[in-house]
Amino acid sequence: MVPVGTRILTVEDDERIRTAVKLALEDEGWTVDEAGSGEEAIELFQRSAPDVVLIDIMLPGIDGFELCRTLRRHSDVPIVMVTARNDTHDVVAGLEAGADDYLTKPFAPKELSARIRALLRRIRPISPGHAKLTFGDLEIVPDEGKVLRGGQELHLTKTEFRLLCELAQNPGRVFSRESLLDKVWGYDYFGDGRLVDVHVRRLRTKVEADPANPRHVVTVRGLGYRLQS
Amino acid sequence: MTTVGNSSSPDPSLADDQPLGRLALWRERWNGIQPRRLGLRTRVLLMFGLGALLLSMFLAAVAYTFTRSSVVNQRDRDSIDQAYRNAQVAQNELSANNPSANPAIQRLQALGVARFAINYRGAWGIGSSAQFGPDNIPVALQSQVIEQGVASRMITTIGGEPVLVIGVPLTVTNASYFEFVSLDDTSETLNSVQLSLIFAGFITTLAGALLGSLVASRAVRPLGDAAQAAKAIAGGRLDTRLEPTEDPDLRVLANAFNDMASALQARVERDARFASDVSHELRSPLMTLAASVEVMQGRRDEMPERAQAALDLLVADVTRFQGLVEDLLEISRFDAGAIRLNLDDLLVAEFVRQATAVSSVPSTPVVVNERAERVVIRGDRRRLARVVANLIDNARLHGGGEATISVTEPEGEGEPLGHIWITVEDHGLGVPPEERDLVFERFARGAVAGRRSSSDGAGLGLALVDEHVRMHGGRVWVEDRLDGEPGARFVLELPAEEVGT
Repeated sequence: MVPVGTRILTVEDDERIRTAVKLALEDEGWTVDEAGSGEEAIELFQRSAPDVVLIDIMLPGIDGFELCRTLRRHSDVPIVMVTARNDTHDVVAGLEAGADDYLTKPFAPKELSARIRALLRRIRPISPGHAKLTFGDLEIVPDEGKVLRGGQELHLTKTEFRLLCELAQNPGRVFSRESLLDKVWGYDYFGDGRLVDVHVRRLRTKVEADPANPRHVVTVRGLGYRLQS
Repeated sequence: MTTVGNSSSPDPSLADDQPLGRLALWRERWNGIQPRRLGLRTRVLLMFGLGALLLSMFLAAVAYTFTRSSVVNQRDRDSIDQAYRNAQVAQNELSANNPSANPAIQRLQALGVARFAINYRGAWGIGSSAQFGPDNIPVALQSQVIEQGVASRMITTIGGEPVLVIGVPLTVTNASYFEFVSLDDTSETLNSVQLSLIFAGFITTLAGALLGSLVASRAVRPLGDAAQAAKAIAGGRLDTRLEPTEDPDLRVLANAFNDMASALQARVERDARFASDVSHELRSPLMTLAASVEVMQGRRDEMPERAQAALDLLVADVTRFQGLVEDLLEISRFDAGAIRLNLDDLLVAEFVRQATAVSSVPSTPVVVNERAERVVIRGDRRRLARVVANLIDNARLHGGGEATISVTEPEGEGEPLGHIWITVEDHGLGVPPEERDLVFERFARGAVAGRRSSSDGAGLGLALVDEHVRMHGGRVWVEDRLDGEPGARFVLELPAEEVGT
């Protein structure tokens, strides 16, 4: 079920939690590396090249947000934030720091596994014969996982790329937040719409010439988002 | 009961309470006897009105007296001059040593004087009008003029008409002359003066009352502001303060009020923060518990039977503990006013079905009537899902078997639809009328628990339902099942809107 050798780096300062989560995740079939601080995590990240990183926001020293931003500068690895509360501030700050998803303590490790699996899912193949999709100055090459603007390659995280591809599947069509939550994150009816909103915002800073006046990823008030040339 | 002054009372607090209690009783009685106290505004208004009335009455009286005396004096002087001239004529006639006053009378009549009377040697002679005779001359005047020989005047009323009677003793032995002067026109003047003074007094009183009411409402306005602020604080807006004022009298009130509000806010926030801190502190050990329990659950089959039973208990209570901490945290957010709803337009039927699917009893039947299928509510889907889940939990714990959820338009709701009802009916013992508000209290137990007792539940579930629903502008209540069978019916009323098909 879990690809053999998929490595998860868990960053958590509470040793008992770290051990219990490691035990539970290993039971689910993942390989788990542990780090007790942000500094340790950065070092370990370079050595072990994990497939997914799990970061607790409350860390001594470098906090979770800062760690997330640091990792994002070098990598598009999927990151799951663990927040102590689901208050808007923590959740949005975590997502804006570059996290792909979040969980609120205490969570069931099974739920975490499900979230990680959703993040690692392969991108659905776009209708065959479309090796390349073009939207004005934007070019998407799904098979290579590449996006170019004006011929220049952009660095998107895996989740941002998946979000862009979902919108590109049906250009001009309006996607509701619920359907994007389902397709990109694998959430049911009760997914958190803020995931979509923050990711769209992040995507715009990369694909739009002027993120404040988006031309490609457009908000349709009260309905959702759509992609246009 | 101990008696007053019984110092050997075993319970000192009771003895202390007694006189106080009696005092309160007296006060109550006294208040019962006293007429209802008027409001400050009414009192100020009455005071100003009364003040203006008294002042204008006094001024009117002074003005009237002065006017009257000046009008009458003017009249007096003219009349007296005339009377003296006429008296002179009469004297001239009488000094001829006439045996009677008749020649004098005739002489005066010839001069056109009609209203007079002459007393000559004890006998009376009068002018042409019988009405103006000695009978109508006040006795006091008669005695003054005739007996003491002093010229004098007096005002009297003859035939309903005010008349000035002037008496002049004549130098002829034993003779006096009296003349009647009508004051009718003078009294008319005075009447109109009187009328205008009364009118002016009335206007002044009215103006006074008006001024009083203005002053009072200006004076009372800060009280109104304070009352509004107090109401706002009671309603949960703890950061409400009175605006600082320059007025030294009001500053005392405003400062005291604001200090009180700050103290209250600090205290409420501290309490709320405490609950929130406790919940947060509990999250870490709970995280370890949840993860560890999951590891053990994965190995349940490898355990001996007794360990399995213990594990099952552990799993169930870790879950319950987790729920309780979540609820506590959520309710502390309510208390801190820190709830921010994530509002979406939700098709109510779909929402209820989805919420039921993720609840503790996903198989709970959901009945939606035709019209309710097209109804949209605006709400926080995750919080409202908790509401539905909590009602389902409540039915599961206290409702004896499976509940039924229905989504319908409210009874007696007309066009257009403004609300929607989500009802959860169970087959439990129901909730007796006197406990129907209590079940929504936090950790509602007491009498309610006797009937609804259960190892889990009680807690905060229904209290959260109440808070969430109120936050969404709706209300929730419990009643008997409509079909008369035993069981409770929880009704959730939310603002809603019908959408076109």
